[in-house]
Amino acid sequence: MNAIEVRHLKKSFGELQAVQGVAFAAEKGEILSLLGPNGAGKSTTISMLSGLLAPNDGDAAIMGHSIRTEPEAAKASLGVVPQDIALYPDLSARENLVFWGKMYGLRGAALKTRVDEVLDIIGLRDRQKDAVGKFSGGMKRRVNIGAALLHKPQVVIMDEPTVGIDPQSRRHILDNVKELNRQGMTVLYTTHYMEEAAELSDHIAIMDSGKVIAYGTHDELIKLVNGQTRIDLTLNVEGADVLDAWKVVEGVNGIDSTDGVVTVLVSDSNLVLPRLFEAAGKLGARITSVDIQEPNLETVFLHLTGRALRD
Amino acid sequence: MKIIDIALNDLLRSFRSAFTIGMAVVAPLMLTGLIYFAFGGLSGGDVSMNAMKVGVVNADALPADSPLDAPIGDNIRAMFFDESVESWIEARDYPDEAAARAAVNAQEIGVAVIVPADLSASLLSDEIDAQVTIISDPTLTIAPAVVQDMVTMMLDGVSGGGIAIQTIMERQQANGIQPDPAQIPGWVTRYTDWYREFQRDLFHRPEKAALVLTAPSAGETESADPIQQMMGLTMAGQMIFFAFFTGAYAMMSILREDEEGTLARLFTTPTERANILAGKFLAVVLTVTLQGIVLMTAGHYAFGIAWGQPASVALAALGQVLAASGLGVLLISFVKTSKQGGPVLGGGLTALGMLGGLFTANIPGGMPAAFQMLANFTPQGWVLKGWKLSLAGAVPADLLLPFAVALALGVAMFAFGAVMFKKRYS
Repeated sequence: MNAIEVRHLKKSFGELQAVQGVAFAAEKGEILSLLGPNGAGKSTTISMLSGLLAPNDGDAAIMGHSIRTEPEAAKASLGVVPQDIALYPDLSARENLVFWGKMYGLRGAALKTRVDEVLDIIGLRDRQKDAVGKFSGGMKRRVNIGAALLHKPQVVIMDEPTVGIDPQSRRHILDNVKELNRQGMTVLYTTHYMEEAAELSDHIAIMDSGKVIAYGTHDELIKLVNGQTRIDLTLNVEGADVLDAWKVVEGVNGIDSTDGVVTVLVSDSNLVLPRLFEAAGKLGARITSVDIQEPNLETVFLHLTGRALRD
Repeated sequence: MKIIDIALNDLLRSFRSAFTIGMAVVAPLMLTGLIYFAFGGLSGGDVSMNAMKVGVVNADALPADSPLDAPIGDNIRAMFFDESVESWIEARDYPDEAAARAAVNAQEIGVAVIVPADLSASLLSDEIDAQVTIISDPTLTIAPAVVQDMVTMMLDGVSGGGIAIQTIMERQQANGIQPDPAQIPGWVTRYTDWYREFQRDLFHRPEKAALVLTAPSAGETESADPIQQMMGLTMAGQMIFFAFFTGAYAMMSILREDEEGTLARLFTTPTERANILAGKFLAVVLTVTLQGIVLMTAGHYAFGIAWGQPASVALAALGQVLAASGLGVLLISFVKTSKQGGPVLGGGLTALGMLGGLFTANIPGGMPAAFQMLANFTPQGWVLKGWKLSLAGAVPADLLLPFAVALALGVAMFAFGAVMFKKRYS
């Protein structure tokens, strides 16, 4: 039995088809990352898995419990770390954890012991009596995660838990995720940072426009680009003319521009790069920087969608 | 159990909110306290005012052929020295107008009444014109007005006596009886005695006079302490207004949780949504209940308010809790964000409170009939009716109607609001 089994989930908001028949599975004890840009359907998918949204079609099971027919059992197996901080700012860290523990059915001595354990896990035992509202962003994130671990869930869903925090707190959270996984928890981790997905995941599902467009291990996904190289370039001028010219250059397999950086996917950088210089020069533009990168998940996404992941 | 956990969590957060404590407890007590102090609360609840100091110069004398036993001026003087007014009028005699004026200027007295020597003669004859002069400290407003009213009433009474004697004589003549001038002093004495007694009764025992000042409603008993009665109505009005505010504000926690993301997080726990909503509703009821208990206790000990018989108080308070909670749930069910909630609470509840008569509970004789009718269409109005009865010492049976209406309105509003919330968060 898989820890998470998603079968053709669909969700629409009016005309918008946010999730269009998503299917994937996570084995017990693995970390599965949902990687995709904003609006890819990651949050909608995990909202359905965690019981916040009812799917229009399809089903999913958490530890064998259908989210449609056994929602309470599915939720009891699940710990959810929301993307935004979802805590009571006027309550202390301990009071927050006690309350959320009660919501998962913990009581009495078991609750007290588990709250102490979780405070140790998130490293806030010495600040347990301070109001969460006074914490730094990173500390709030840690309490936010801790609240999902109180009932020792078999599956933890983390929705972009590192958005908007400092590198130190980010490192702490990533280490926490690995430690939880070592303890046997299955983790479904959504992110739009390919580095996190690459570092953490046993399997990665790449989502775009409400669909899973690729699924596999990191190495399996890299093979999809089959030796292609990604080149990031900047120009001394901005203009669609250069991009249009580069699109038709022989050997260019994909191109995208974000925040002044043009990302080009090529088969052979040695062959194609001079052509790019030549095409830019004909239009009076000058290339001011070139960064040739080994294939990574960004390259994969560009290869699959024709757009950069950071879009 | 989770319902109680959710409710207690809301209560804990409410008690840590300075705004909630301020609006639920401090504001009603402070507003009532201001009124209390304004009406003599600083002197321990004694509302007696300082006695008016009145000087009297009575120079009136009877003309030679007067049918009267004593000059009219004696009656005017006696009015200010009467034992029935000694608690609020401190009267002194002065020999002449100059001495009285000097006393006013020196602020020994506030008002001086100068009765001229020929007052009786002028009242017995159309040919003589005499006037009573009132001299007052220009910084005073109430005392001169009161003295002027008293003198005017006395002189009106004397004029009325003259008319009465003239009428008696005319009636006797019409019946063929020749009036006996020797009887006139007796008539005048009887009339004077009656009129003096009438004035005493008017001011001190109105139930014996022809004028009835108030008509107590059924079940209402006369309060021994008017300030206590006034404070009771004031506090009840404030308590009801802020109870409804607290009910709505407490229910707004669901909107704040929605915005903070904790409501969505609650939905991801193995807790049924119906239980989460029930916990929120219970928090509203508990908050309004606790607020009522605190305010009633504080009102009793701070302002000496006797809320009524225990069973009546329980009915009035229960009606308040149910109506305030119900309206809170209903109002907030229409509101999408906590920012929208502010105007709804501020404007909507103030308007309903005004229509319900919460700010005019102390107006003597009550509000105009149209406003009293409007109050019947607000839950606040029915809750206030319950408290008025309880404060007046009514038995529980007398409160059944306002309680039943508050209960029905509360349950109906609660049910409608609950359906709206269930629909929104299903």
